[in-house]
Amino acid sequence: MKKTTAAVVGIGEVPTGKYPDRSELDAALTACRAAILDAGLGPRDIDVILPTGALASRHFNVDLVFSRLCEELGMNRSLKMNCQVMAGGATSSSILAVAEGLIAAGMARRVLCVHSDAVGSLPKQAGIDLFATTGVSEEWEAPYGHNMNAVGALATQRYMHETGTTEEELAAVCVALRKWAMLNPHAMFRTPLTVEEVMASKMVATPLRAKECNMLADGAAAFVVAAAGDARAISESPVFLRGHGSLVTHYTLSQERDLARLGFPEAARAAYAEAGIGPDAIQLAQIYDAYPVWPLMSLDGLGLCRGTPAGAFVAAGETAPGGSLPMTTNGGMLSQGHTGVGGGIAVLVEAFRQLMGKAGARQVAGLVNAVETASGGTWMDSHVTILSREAA
Amino acid sequence: MTAQTRPLPQPSAWSAPFWQAARDRRLVIQRCTSCDEKIMYPRRFCPVCLGEALEFVPAKGTGEIYTLTTQMAGPPSGFEAMLPYVLAVIRLDEGVQMMSNIVGDGALGARIGDRVTVDFATVEGSDTVLPVFRLAGDGQ
Ligand SMILES: [Zn+2]
Repeated sequence: MKKTTAAVVGIGEVPTGKYPDRSELDAALTACRAAILDAGLGPRDIDVILPTGALASRHFNVDLVFSRLCEELGMNRSLKMNCQVMAGGATSSSILAVAEGLIAAGMARRVLCVHSDAVGSLPKQAGIDLFATTGVSEEWEAPYGHNMNAVGALATQRYMHETGTTEEELAAVCVALRKWAMLNPHAMFRTPLTVEEVMASKMVATPLRAKECNMLADGAAAFVVAAAGDARAISESPVFLRGHGSLVTHYTLSQERDLARLGFPEAARAAYAEAGIGPDAIQLAQIYDAYPVWPLMSLDGLGLCRGTPAGAFVAAGETAPGGSLPMTTNGGMLSQGHTGVGGGIAVLVEAFRQLMGKAGARQVAGLVNAVETASGGTWMDSHVTILSREAA
Repeated sequence: MTAQTRPLPQPSAWSAPFWQAARDRRLVIQRCTSCDEKIMYPRRFCPVCLGEALEFVPAKGTGEIYTLTTQMAGPPSGFEAMLPYVLAVIRLDEGVQMMSNIVGDGALGARIGDRVTVDFATVEGSDTVLPVFRLAGDGQ
């Protein structure tokens, strides 16, 4: 077990959806301001900003790289470093690990991590084409018509082949996420959804139907990481970073040789060992989704279903409101919306929100320990992070 | 919006022999002359021993479907007219994997584990030839 060095002390988020009149800068500043105020801090208390990458606008991404947030947030001549951290969908876990490392090394005291993007306001085909080149080899895969929905579909087929998971069980993942999203005012999709409606939606890439494919959205979120020793003086409900494990398994999907598992078993083992917290003590699973297969695969790898195959576990309602293991209570990318790199950040920020006791109508009672997962590109890497209200 | 053509591979210095072989209707993979590792897709050097002495060797052109999907809607630009098309990861009998399309008789009914044989398809309006796969027993 590792001695805890860092904690999250403030969070901010703007609603996710299609907001063509809300600039990425506006959303970023709103989320940062909310996170700093949530922590009870001022701008000059922050010594490092870690913005992640924005995909929709190169112009805004350049702003992020070149310290625009520092100046707009009033941190000129007090901020020590502004440095972009980008790992696609795995940015959530990765940026948290970088912030923790800087703090553990004594190189930073308070780190502001932020994402903002507007991929939801891109024309539909531009969105498809953008994500058909993220982790998809232009030489070896794109010429065959590979694309992001196909990434999800190819993994789903292999997972179903190896586990016997049914199409109805996949649809049940979408339904459980929707039930949580209906309680989340920041979610893009908040109307009831049934397994039958998922099954009746248009086939996109077998076996994935339209309602099993995420919708691109605009969004922004931010959080403040502080030294663990300062955390209780800053926040009434700090969230301590207890353990992290990860494994990069491929760049191109076609090079992955274990597409039904990826690196989740290895990442989970490392994270549990570092945290000194095992799967039996996990009360909330904030699992990166994007497509229904990934939560199932992640739950299996994390050992969270008590020996039940993940598909059956979800279909039985165990991850929905009222179930034994609340999962991705913001609604995930399938219902809150997929903001690009930020889909995972929203999943992570919801873990903080729940552990801080600020999740409103969807608050999980008596929460102490949670797990968060992430993966980027074509699920090139598997990340597992253990979070707790208690330090070690 | 103007219709975009489908993306074509832009060969690198070290992958050019692969694409030339495809134009000659041959499927080749790399072999490391230092450690005998079989490599696909072509690399700048061996990912096992970092040796730079790689050679292209003929592949049998047979293998099995590791996973697949039939794209029915929402394709990337340039693929609209191909719908529905089958995208697959093929595990070649040499042990290496590659992405390709399943084409020909029965392609839409192909399943994981099915045996496949390489064929070659010229991309319309280009001199690019893509290795594609047919189900074994497809009468071509
Ligand atoms: Zn070698």
